[in-house]
Amino acid sequence: MVWLSGGMFAIACLMIVSLLAFVLWQGLWTLWPRTYSIYGRKDGTLVGGELYAKASLEGQETLYLRTGNYDVSNQHFAYVSSSELVEQSGWLAPDLWLVERKEWGNLYGFPKQLSWAQASPEDFVRLVQEGMRQTAKIDRELGEAKNELKRIDHNIAEARLGIRRVELAERIDLQKAAETGSLEGLSPSARDAVSKLVLRNRQADEMMVEINDRIARLEAQRAERTVVFELPILDPLGTITADWTDLSAGRLRDPNGLAELLGGGEDSSGLSFSAEPMGDAGLSDPGVEDQRLVCKVTIPGEPTRRLMIRRLEDGRSSVEAFREHSILLADMVRFFPTNRLGIFQRLGVYASRWWEFLSGDPREAGMEGGFFPAIWGTVVMTIVMSLAVMPFGVLAALYMREYAKSGWLLSVIRISINNLAGVPSIVYGVFGLSFFCYIVGGYIDGGPIKAGFEPWPSAAWFSALGGLAIVGLIAFAVSIFSGQAEARRSPMRTVLRWSAGLLWLLTLGLIVWLLVKSPHFHGFYEAQLPNPTFGKGCLLWAALTLSLLTLPVVIVATEEALSAVPNSLREGSYACGAGKWQTIHRIVLPYARPGIITGFILAMARGAGEVAPMMLVGAIPLATELPLDGEFPFLHGSRSFMHLGFQIYSLGFQSQNSEAAKPMVFTATLLLLSIVTVLNQTAIWLRASLRKRFQTSQF
Amino acid sequence: MNRLKAIADGQTFESVIHQEVLDRDPVVSIRDFSLFYNRKQALYNITMPVAKGMVTALVGPSGCGKSTLLRSVNRMNDLIESVRIEGDMVLNGESIFAPSVDVIALRKRMGMVFQKPNPFPMSIFENVVYPLRIDGERDKTILMQVCEQSLRGAALWEEVKDRLSESGLSLSGGQQQRLCIARAIASDPEVLLLDEPCSALDPIATGKIEDLIDRLRGEYSILIVTHNMQQASRISDHTAFMYLGRLVEMAETSTIFTRPRLSETEDYVTGRFG
Repeated sequence: MVWLSGGMFAIACLMIVSLLAFVLWQGLWTLWPRTYSIYGRKDGTLVGGELYAKASLEGQETLYLRTGNYDVSNQHFAYVSSSELVEQSGWLAPDLWLVERKEWGNLYGFPKQLSWAQASPEDFVRLVQEGMRQTAKIDRELGEAKNELKRIDHNIAEARLGIRRVELAERIDLQKAAETGSLEGLSPSARDAVSKLVLRNRQADEMMVEINDRIARLEAQRAERTVVFELPILDPLGTITADWTDLSAGRLRDPNGLAELLGGGEDSSGLSFSAEPMGDAGLSDPGVEDQRLVCKVTIPGEPTRRLMIRRLEDGRSSVEAFREHSILLADMVRFFPTNRLGIFQRLGVYASRWWEFLSGDPREAGMEGGFFPAIWGTVVMTIVMSLAVMPFGVLAALYMREYAKSGWLLSVIRISINNLAGVPSIVYGVFGLSFFCYIVGGYIDGGPIKAGFEPWPSAAWFSALGGLAIVGLIAFAVSIFSGQAEARRSPMRTVLRWSAGLLWLLTLGLIVWLLVKSPHFHGFYEAQLPNPTFGKGCLLWAALTLSLLTLPVVIVATEEALSAVPNSLREGSYACGAGKWQTIHRIVLPYARPGIITGFILAMARGAGEVAPMMLVGAIPLATELPLDGEFPFLHGSRSFMHLGFQIYSLGFQSQNSEAAKPMVFTATLLLLSIVTVLNQTAIWLRASLRKRFQTSQF
Repeated sequence: MNRLKAIADGQTFESVIHQEVLDRDPVVSIRDFSLFYNRKQALYNITMPVAKGMVTALVGPSGCGKSTLLRSVNRMNDLIESVRIEGDMVLNGESIFAPSVDVIALRKRMGMVFQKPNPFPMSIFENVVYPLRIDGERDKTILMQVCEQSLRGAALWEEVKDRLSESGLSLSGGQQQRLCIARAIASDPEVLLLDEPCSALDPIATGKIEDLIDRLRGEYSILIVTHNMQQASRISDHTAFMYLGRLVEMAETSTIFTRPRLSETEDYVTGRFG
């Protein structure tokens, strides 16, 4: 038995450790800058890539390469079988740059030329860095201009909403007045609304011209500077005849016919030519078809070009050019010669990538760049959820443990709550969508009709209101009477207490029913309809759905913490003449606090990692606005938001190129895991430290 | 032993209360008091006085209802749902069980100390002034004054005066129990109820508590439950012997221990049964 149980224990440990190690390894490795090797294929083409993995498929070794250059090659990643390759170790070209771009992902290539300066390759780094600083400024100004445009649009939309509100309130049509701007025969409020729109429209017209000019100018400036790269993709130029031995030794200044191929005519004077072998085996390999050279050719007055010369069987050599590709300087985020970096430079790039990951906005539909909106969305949603679940859970548990009389009803409720913790989370998602988003949200947006209820006629509704007042009064009277000493001793006390409770329930139900059937409420956001404000998935409903989901955790933990408070403390407090609430608030709650906080943090950890309901009630793959920002009213409950867990799902399985997003998925997983771990660790630490404070020298 | 057997058989029984006890001015008078847990009766028609300024000990074998009686005095049994009572008690001329009585106000007039020390999870200072805190007292000087007074009264001041802000749970068991006594006397109670205050303590701590009770004699009226005969004889002025929910005999302590009227009492205090 000891072997069996020990073995199971070992297997469990192994599974946990391997899961953690796998995520840790993949997550930490993704952002590490790797070297970029260029391999020659046997069919004469080149393939380059950062080596992500080596796998053995059907007995053949296969390389998994991140090829980049998506805009030219149409792929981010490629599987290459090693049998296709001329040599197994690639060529680590020393002056190859890795460029991270705002669009199209990484570019790998040799910088050839800058559009704004004539410079030798040694100066490129400095010039590009300077240029990027300037384009960053341009981008900033562009962003400001676009924000101004947005603000103008927002102002006009607001004025239109004002008109719509007046239309709804006064049941008139202001369409014409808004178009013409004439104020004749309008009520004062309508006049205000229309003149506001007219004013804003005029202001917008004036400003728009200037801003659009500015944007056009900035866009032009932005497009001015380009960098030309030579990518490791070959375009054939032609063939030359030259002695291969001289060629490979770099002795020929001007191989026959090369100048012609390059379009420089017959005159080859001034052409400088240097050759370097590609890869280790470039020359030593005896096979003719494997012999190739990469040459740099400099024509006076023009930037150096890279050519690939390959020996053909008939003594001639084919010449192919590296494909040129020009990109905007403004699109560059980061660049470095990836094959030439020392360990510290690599660490620097690694740190800067992590910083961007944690604090930056996503690029390329989330496949590159930062996760900040997702982290922020997760954190804000979790905090709102905590604020919602905390009072609910703690008060409910307090009632069950301290006030309620134990009996079958309480047991049934307690069992139901425990079972609630086991309900699959997608069920909560469906409930949140159908109840919170469509019914409650629809009600807030457009009143009972929008939420799908038929309102009563006015007279019936008002008589029902009278009925509610009477029932409420009776409930109040009965509960006052049942609390009195004489009633408490009478044999009717149980009946009285039950009827008071039922009457209150009835009152509550009536209030809800009257709200639902009101003919006089048309929603707070009627003017925005048919665009939903709260009637869709958004932060508020996501937080409330999750708080429902974590409610059992909080209740159970709080109940346990309360029942762990020794009864002697309660008795001691009562004996001092303290009332029930005084005892609870001065003795019981402080004593139970560590347990309550622990349960609360566990609930937060559970909520932060929950994905399934998020898909239904508000998380979206790419949100332009943050749910909590510096704009009034700061917390925007009606906004959709990005969520880490959902991001993992949507990147890994829903994006157009999920293969390319896979590394990012692991990094996001690592981040989510560490957030949850930090929360759990805080809970454990908090519990330990508070316990210590309360339980020293308890004999 | 016949009377005890009669009690066990459920026959009616007349308690013997010596005249010297009845002559004293009572702080609490228990009048024909019975108590039921659901249908099970735990106390049977108990009538006895608790003399003002004196220490009255309740003795008897386990389960005889001494603690239940003590906890009825400040109505701690109200907290148990199934308890029902008959009869009444009177505290300084005012009824304890009348329907109009405010239980909270009533409990504030008494102090209670339990078997196991139960200091609250707060500082020593806050522990002592807890009864004032719940009355909303905020004046630091008054609180400090009461704290010092009570701790001196409980003979704890010298030991803790330099660490009033430390947790009450950092004290030793005996100190914790004296802290509870200090808390009980902080609101200047009319009667002090001690429920086997030394049963969880070692002999040295017990001795200190007994010395303390001796010092409090005269200043406070004390009703103490104990199952330790020596303790009862050492510290109490009056002793009441209970058996199976009935009061058997009550007299001055010396009388009970030397020449009780009933042989059953003598058998019990001399350790021949129980």
